[in-house]
Amino acid sequence: MPTIYETVFSTLLWAAMASVVVAIPGLALAYLLARRSFWGKSVLSTVTTLPLVLPPTAVGYLMLRIFASDGLVGDRLLGIDLDILLSWKAVVIACSVMSFPLFVRTARVAFEEVNPRLEAMGRSLGFGAWRTFATITLPLASRGLVVATLLSFARALGEFGASVIVAGNIPGRTQTLSSAIYSAQQSGNDAIANRLLIVALLVGFVMVYATERLSQSKHATGGSGR
Amino acid sequence: MKSENPLFDIRLNVPLEQFELDIEYTGNERVFGVFGVSGSGKTTLLESLAGLRPVGEGVVRFSGDTWLDSSGGTFMPASSRRVGYVPQDHLLFPHRDVRGNLEMGKRRAIENGVDFGDVFENVVAVLDLGALLDRRITELSGGERQRVALGRALCSGPQLLLLDEPLSSLDAPLRRKILPFLIRVRDAFDLPMVVVSHNPIELQTLCDEILVLRDGRVVATGIPGEVFTREDVFDTAKEQGFENVFSGVIVESDERCATMELMDVESPTRIRIPRTTTKVGESLVASIASDDVLIGTEKPKGLSARNCLAARIEKTESAGTRMLVMARVADSAPLIVVEVTHDAIEELSLQPGLSVFLLFKTSSVSVFSE
Repeated sequence: MPTIYETVFSTLLWAAMASVVVAIPGLALAYLLARRSFWGKSVLSTVTTLPLVLPPTAVGYLMLRIFASDGLVGDRLLGIDLDILLSWKAVVIACSVMSFPLFVRTARVAFEEVNPRLEAMGRSLGFGAWRTFATITLPLASRGLVVATLLSFARALGEFGASVIVAGNIPGRTQTLSSAIYSAQQSGNDAIANRLLIVALLVGFVMVYATERLSQSKHATGGSGR
Repeated sequence: MKSENPLFDIRLNVPLEQFELDIEYTGNERVFGVFGVSGSGKTTLLESLAGLRPVGEGVVRFSGDTWLDSSGGTFMPASSRRVGYVPQDHLLFPHRDVRGNLEMGKRRAIENGVDFGDVFENVVAVLDLGALLDRRITELSGGERQRVALGRALCSGPQLLLLDEPLSSLDAPLRRKILPFLIRVRDAFDLPMVVVSHNPIELQTLCDEILVLRDGRVVATGIPGEVFTREDVFDTAKEQGFENVFSGVIVESDERCATMELMDVESPTRIRIPRTTTKVGESLVASIASDDVLIGTEKPKGLSARNCLAARIEKTESAGTRMLVMARVADSAPLIVVEVTHDAIEELSLQPGLSVFLLFKTSSVSVFSE
């Protein structure tokens, strides 16, 4: 049996890895949705949001189909076995998929709040597209982007339904804080369940409190309002 | 500068919601102004010049360089046009302090062979920004923001300065303080400028040539003194605050009043003006409304008005519902416009060539000083 610390540590590590996995494509997609209009934009936005509203077990089952031996990225089609199912990789992927919509939606709002005329001002000062993004858009949206990262991290920490299907609940291998609580409660081990609950409460409180403080403090986005 | 090409060659057609902006202008004056009420298409014109508005057809050439030629498929992006754009709402970067904002265009300035340190120092001196450099943008007043926005544009090594309503976001007392900064910018930096405004005083003070825009179309072009007194323009100009503008040098000043001597006038002409912080020997701009001036055919006696200028009527004109008498105190002096009634014209037989006296109170004179 792993100790509580080991469980908490691996949960935090996997959630952090999921946040990193989500951040890069999430930023690009959020910026695209906030600033560009293109064919199929609403469909893309809807598909991105789906994991937020679907039952997590449904998403987990879908991933199981995809990663299964005969799935889209299974060993039969790829020719190699990525050895994802029932491993820590499956936990990270499940956490990423489940927190992706939360990140994209929050980051999109952060980008939308940046006054586009400030970006135009940058162009008139000689900035190309990339420099405008890096020196104007990104810093002005930074607070919202940090909130997005914290929220997606918090969502990944609590992930259960999808990861338990693709990764299982194997102590010492794929067990997370939430699946450990489930196991402890199911086996009537109240002492462990209580301690895990306190850890979950603490971590959750810190995360949400931090996002609250960040969202409340004055936004320095240059104001999209006139 | 390629002399065979005009400085500005603009033929633009931009569809807008209410009307179409349809402009043709070719000119060589360094500072040209665009006058029009709000919604006449002024900002659209500036944004098109800056390259911030991709829609539209036509040609924009600046000093021989083609920025837009829709028939040839040329559209130079905003980032390559080297304009210093000062928008109405300043658009300062809130995540940078004043120094950071001024340095935003540093890279472009250096790429274009500008000695950034030199320009930066000069800009800070001309716009009096020294004390503000380490301030956050949110701590600045409206007038300070305007100066920083101007400074940022000047520091970016522009070849053309575009000013959108440079004073409209400021209240009247502040406007009088900022206008001298604009004059200093015009004189200290040898840059072509386009100034867009609904305020005739700003344009009269700053511009060599003015284009009057109405519903997207040019209705008049010419030098400021003449354009605003045109029959079809004067009413609008007057509504927007048209006044006679004088540039001069302070020759006397105390805590109650001051005296200025008009600049570039062969016979010394002095005007008593209200108290000002501008010191003796320094230049300033003052203005007087056209309906605050009285005309006398003889030199009056026993009047409290401190200003009595001998002048000669150059022309009389009806402008909308009013009659305008335009006179000069000397051949090289600016036209002074006086509003009178039809009755007065008849009774005093006011006509071109007649010698008259122009009377106005010291307190009616507005002074523009820092």
